[in-house]
Amino acid sequence: MTEKKEPESRKAAEEVRIGVYVCHCGLNIAGSVDCAEVAKFAATLPHVVLAKDNRYTCSDQGQDQIKKDIKENRLNRVVVASCSPRLHEPTFRKTCEEAGLNKYLFEMANIREQCSWVHLYDKKEATEKAKDLVKVAAAKAALLEPAEEAEVPITRKALVIGGGVAGIQAALDLADTGYNVYLVEKEPSIGGMMARIDKTFPTMDCSICILAPKMSDVGHHPNIELLTNSEVTEVKGYIGNFHVKVLKKPRYVTKDCSACGECVKVCPIVVPNEFDVGLAIRHGIYTPFAQAVPSTYIIDMNVCLNKDGVVVCDRCMKACERQAVRYEMTPETADLEVGTIIVATGADVFDPTALPNYGYGKYENVITSLEFERLINAGGPSGGHLLRPSDKQIPKRVAFVQCVGSRSDKSGKLYCSNVCCMNTIKDSLLIKEHWPETEIYVFYVDIRAYGKGFEDLYKRARKAGVIFIRGLPAEIVEDKKNRSLWLLGENSLQNELYKIKVDMAVLSIGLEPRKDSELIQRLLTLSRTQDGFFMEAHPKLRPVDAATGGIFFAGCAEAPKDIKDSVTQASAAAARAGILMAKGKVTVEAITPIFYPEKCKVCGLCVKVCPYNAITLNKDLKRIELIEAACGGCGTCAAECPFGALTQKHFTDEQIIAQVDAVTENSPEKKIVAFCCNWCSYAAADFAGVSRMQYPPNVRIIRTMCSGRVAPKFVERAFARGAATVLVAGCHLGDCHYINANYQMQKRVERLQKKMEQSGLNKERLQLLWASAAEGERFASKIREMKTIVESVTSKEIEASQKVFEKALTGV
Amino acid sequence: MTEAVQRPIKSSEIDSKFKYEISKMHGGEKLMRCFQCGTCTSDCPIARFSDTYRPRQIIRMTQLGLKDRVLNSDTLWLCASCFTCTDRCPQDVEVASVIRVLRNLAAERGHVPQVFKEQCSSILESGYAYKIPELRLKKRETLGLPPLPKGNPESLGKTLRTVHFLKHVEKKGE
Repeated sequence: MTEKKEPESRKAAEEVRIGVYVCHCGLNIAGSVDCAEVAKFAATLPHVVLAKDNRYTCSDQGQDQIKKDIKENRLNRVVVASCSPRLHEPTFRKTCEEAGLNKYLFEMANIREQCSWVHLYDKKEATEKAKDLVKVAAAKAALLEPAEEAEVPITRKALVIGGGVAGIQAALDLADTGYNVYLVEKEPSIGGMMARIDKTFPTMDCSICILAPKMSDVGHHPNIELLTNSEVTEVKGYIGNFHVKVLKKPRYVTKDCSACGECVKVCPIVVPNEFDVGLAIRHGIYTPFAQAVPSTYIIDMNVCLNKDGVVVCDRCMKACERQAVRYEMTPETADLEVGTIIVATGADVFDPTALPNYGYGKYENVITSLEFERLINAGGPSGGHLLRPSDKQIPKRVAFVQCVGSRSDKSGKLYCSNVCCMNTIKDSLLIKEHWPETEIYVFYVDIRAYGKGFEDLYKRARKAGVIFIRGLPAEIVEDKKNRSLWLLGENSLQNELYKIKVDMAVLSIGLEPRKDSELIQRLLTLSRTQDGFFMEAHPKLRPVDAATGGIFFAGCAEAPKDIKDSVTQASAAAARAGILMAKGKVTVEAITPIFYPEKCKVCGLCVKVCPYNAITLNKDLKRIELIEAACGGCGTCAAECPFGALTQKHFTDEQIIAQVDAVTENSPEKKIVAFCCNWCSYAAADFAGVSRMQYPPNVRIIRTMCSGRVAPKFVERAFARGAATVLVAGCHLGDCHYINANYQMQKRVERLQKKMEQSGLNKERLQLLWASAAEGERFASKIREMKTIVESVTSKEIEASQKVFEKALTGV
Repeated sequence: MTEAVQRPIKSSEIDSKFKYEISKMHGGEKLMRCFQCGTCTSDCPIARFSDTYRPRQIIRMTQLGLKDRVLNSDTLWLCASCFTCTDRCPQDVEVASVIRVLRNLAAERGHVPQVFKEQCSSILESGYAYKIPELRLKKRETLGLPPLPKGNPESLGKTLRTVHFLKHVEKKGE
């Protein structure tokens, strides 16, 4: 926790000595900016003791120069005017550190992506803008403070939620590395979806045969504690230090069970077996499937005659030689301390009753692909004989209907479920293997055979005589006489309508996010994409990390995946978690809040806006508590605090206000003051530069980590100092790097716009923009649009806004 | 097989802006979402009895920008506007509405099949979509049924003229 006494005792005596380096970047900058002139200008700025321009500041010579100057000229702040801080800030921070200067005393002016590249043909304007940008950077640099990065210890234990193949793999990898792992599974046995599938594509391996050894490894591994029939109910804490509560539901059978099965023979209760998707029956006391781990039996208390707590029937208890049956068992709560969490909660399957035209649930012979897996499985209800449900005969003609619940806006999900095409191809080959005469039709929209060995399998299926028809049937109609099915549709490649009669139709159902994803999302403060699957920190470069530190994804929880991808991702997640635990500690970038307790009125607003639950209200002690390690560093708490009791390190109120003041020093009536978030909108501006998109040069960007950091007073200050327009830009709603902090920004900006409207100001002068890192053109066109607004703003309007917001000039 | 399949497409036929024009019109907004799954045609009660009418193909021709082909085609006028295609489309393309938009454009060019024009003039004359034979009217009388109500073709004509409907219908085909 960072608590400071005010007045803060910065070494007031120490003279601020800034060194400015203007980089030519070959001709990338020097082509449209007069770097020598910028350096000359920089030398005139307050506190600047030295200003140089050089060809490549990031080169070894450039860096050596900085190091040398720091020592010889006693520089205690360094400003480099070159490319984007997203590119070279780490480089120069390291340079400073090597010269003995704290890395937080470094600041960058982005005169390449946001100046020379976007104003290629106007050297005069570009040079003026570059000067302004250097001035803004120097203004911030003068107020920079050294900071130490906090270190947080990491508990060397991991929690894996979900015992499907992804969870199993992740748990085994971590356990083999030497860490203790808790594997929590909701069902009585681990194995998940893979345990139900008959064969895997494209190699046609027996699914349970390759999974069962892994399952039993989990059961026997000394480093894995398996908690089945259990659910995570509470997660507190932060990276490295999670406190997890797990509810262990009773099995009513102790570990003494030898899985002999005597109890099942005497149980009078019969219900559909969930594992066989209801196609077979099980008893009140049961084991889900033969290879279940743990093999201990379980009593389903929802159906057991003893469910009301009175022992009405004790047949199983009497049948058990080892006296393992215990009706009196009660739920227990386990408290776990873990350092990392792997979310491997998997996916659900689409329920095709939502599509009445396919008649699932109405016609017995229309089944889902998951039901098919159980029917063709030797361990399934029909012993591996594909029997059609209505007459228990082997069908002669089978149809597969693809994209049921996938790629549909209306009925189902918009995305492609990834696995159904190959699964159908595999299934069709399985039928052909056993009953080669069967006629098989596959109705598809597009066949996606993209993976290793997939195309070969597709070819094999076609060779085996499977008929692929492009065009989904519109309807499935049952022939009342023999319960066969008519499929009606269009063969869109031949432009002909078809009407095909089959004995059985298999709906290739898609995958969808688990129904309890929302609960997991809330427990772990995760974010989800529009599809409803969990969102990774970066789609390309951090594909298994959650945005919340210390949490990783494996398997279908993140997106629909086949077994191979799930296993790959699980190993990746285990490796990522392992890296953290191997280090044993984690450093937190020093952009966490600074807290002035004496100003705090314990109003709790910061607690509400914090996306990470890193600020808590201690009701007993009536005070606010910060957990630095849990903080993501968005700064939205600092923007929210009405009393100035919170500010953000390295993005303090006075630093940002100094930047606003520097921007608005000269001809503010022509300027657009833009606040951009580091991850999306600032990156969008960088992307516009990289793509050489040209836009007007009157915009000045002030970078914050998140748009949620932009306090109303910064905007007010800009208007009070005569700025024509202000832009606040952030990530798209739902895409925020800090979970949801940009919603706070939206609220604040809308409040300000309302205030402007009420005060008779043109609210168009304050604009809001959502731009992702790839939307350079969106950013550029916004600036073009705002330029016309700037031109329309009269000096009277500026005076009026200065008056409305004049309060913002005082009380910094 | 329809004519469109037989005749190869020439690049000169393609108006690449056509799809954007349609997308801007009310009903055509979701045109571009179509990925040719064929559900519309599978569901279509007309396609079942026609060798030429394929809503999927009309959408594809529109996406491709085969403006003349699609607007001059007779199959455009076979749609019964039952909206089954719109109802079942997985991508939420309003197929029937796209066809309405296309019909409006075709009508502006004067491409309205004769049978539709005749129907229109019948409505304008008598208020009925088709001319009821004298014989039937007499039969009603003998059966003691009340005479059929009279339409109001005058005011209808006024309305249709105001919305420039008649201009298009009366136009001769190119």
